[in-house]
Amino acid sequence: MGPVMVGPSSSHTAGTARLGRVAHEILDEDPVMLRFFLHPPLERTFRGHGSDFALVGGALGLDVHDPRIPEAIRIAEQLGVDVDFAEEDLGDVHPNTVRIVAKGAAREVEIVGSSIGGAAIEVFSINGFSTRYKGDSPTLLLFYRDRIGMIHQVAEAIAKEGINIASLSCSRKERGKDAFMQVDVDSPLSQDALERILALEDMEDARYLDRIP
Amino acid sequence: MHRFFEDFTLAGSRLARQSPYYGDGMIASFNELLAAGEGLDLAQVFLDSDAEESGFTQQQIIDALTRRREVMWECVRRGKSNSGLSMGRLVGGEAMAMATAFNEGKTFLDPLTVKTMIYSLAVMDENSRMGVIVAAPTAGAGGVVPGMLLALEEERNIAPEKTIRGLVVAGGCGSLVSLKANISGAAGGCQNEVGVATAMGAAAIAYMMGGTTRQCVQAAALALKNVLGLVCDPVGGLVEVPCVKRNSFYAVHGLTAAQLALAGVVSVIPMDEIIDAMVRIGRALPRGLKETAEGGLAMTPTGCAIAERIMGEANEKRQLAADERERVAAERKAERGEGTN
Repeated sequence: MGPVMVGPSSSHTAGTARLGRVAHEILDEDPVMLRFFLHPPLERTFRGHGSDFALVGGALGLDVHDPRIPEAIRIAEQLGVDVDFAEEDLGDVHPNTVRIVAKGAAREVEIVGSSIGGAAIEVFSINGFSTRYKGDSPTLLLFYRDRIGMIHQVAEAIAKEGINIASLSCSRKERGKDAFMQVDVDSPLSQDALERILALEDMEDARYLDRIP
Repeated sequence: MHRFFEDFTLAGSRLARQSPYYGDGMIASFNELLAAGEGLDLAQVFLDSDAEESGFTQQQIIDALTRRREVMWECVRRGKSNSGLSMGRLVGGEAMAMATAFNEGKTFLDPLTVKTMIYSLAVMDENSRMGVIVAAPTAGAGGVVPGMLLALEEERNIAPEKTIRGLVVAGGCGSLVSLKANISGAAGGCQNEVGVATAMGAAAIAYMMGGTTRQCVQAAALALKNVLGLVCDPVGGLVEVPCVKRNSFYAVHGLTAAQLALAGVVSVIPMDEIIDAMVRIGRALPRGLKETAEGGLAMTPTGCAIAERIMGEANEKRQLAADERERVAAERKAERGEGTN
């Protein structure tokens, strides 16, 4: 039962708003530029369902039930955010799939994800690393240089907090080069713990995401 | 089943692994629910099993659904007194028209049925105007459950607490269906959306009227069985035609199912097998009848003309946005040019 959301479609409006929200949460700052590349079936239907408002609203950090979602594009304009939509064939994926590029002053984030119905989402690429993120549990996203012992150190830091790891997955672009780790945890991680993980050698960026509302 | 749905449905059988009602087994089907919940309060069975695994307390679950009931009422009140058009301008004001007829004594059905229709239309009218609603289980089928439950609450003077427990039952049943079937028109047509919603609502109504666990499951089965094969063919791809009015039809359909079940009528085909049939029918449906707007009503001459208009307006909007960006870019360039001179 739920979520409480702005209509008209749980997959086209609430799901897309949550995808935008994922980009916002990873970016962790106000976006200055937002680009949405829509898979052709979504490109054909997204305006009628308000997916354009929803994607932008989510990327600005609005909740799926925020009554300002229908105004999101105007709000983005007022904030001076550069917003654009384009069509892009994203391959053999769910019809409602979008690639989002969000740029802030410090970070740039790229995610590819699908809105799979009933407001549920599945993000399968973060900054070019393949993954499977659904936004339904507290999660740690780590970007680092691939080396021996990194998983052990991260797991140890989380264990020290008394937090259980629900699942952990890694992917890398090349041995010894850029790598990515997604750690789903059972309970929220403190800012201190995040700082300690960020301080690990070869750790380039660490983002903690709470459940995406 | 995806966690998000579970979290907000707050009743899921996969979560019932350590349920005191079912030993170390888990309730993964309606058949198992019947075994575990026989003679018990159905809402309590769902609450216990969900609180066990989800980490939420029962009070948190009740609080979350209390809020959802309030949002549903707010939505109904706004929806029935607003005749504003939908985003695609295909619908709007259906709830208000029905409410006006009712208030003027011009309806011929009994008040419970009429209110069920008004309230489900009100939610869908709001939904099509991008108003705030509660997905139940989706937005496109979101009028059915509140339409049924809130009309019953008001007409039969049922305590809000009971309605909230009805929402637990509705959510729990929807969650059980979602173990086997994707809840979206894209996956299996409208049977997977409005069909599941009417089954959820029927179970909840049976519960609120004092039905046993068996009667609640029978209500869900009767409702779902009689909506199998319903396609998803929205005109222009919008959640407007036939979605808005369809919600009022299937809200009343759910009342029929609950009434039959409470009178002791049983479905020959059990609920679990009906869900399997729904999944098979969904697979067999051609792609054009699964939310793609490439078949059925969407492909009628009128439907095509509407789609063309909507596409034209969207392109116009896109062009305007592109022109505006170009203008702003040119302005900035000019500003920079002046600055250096």
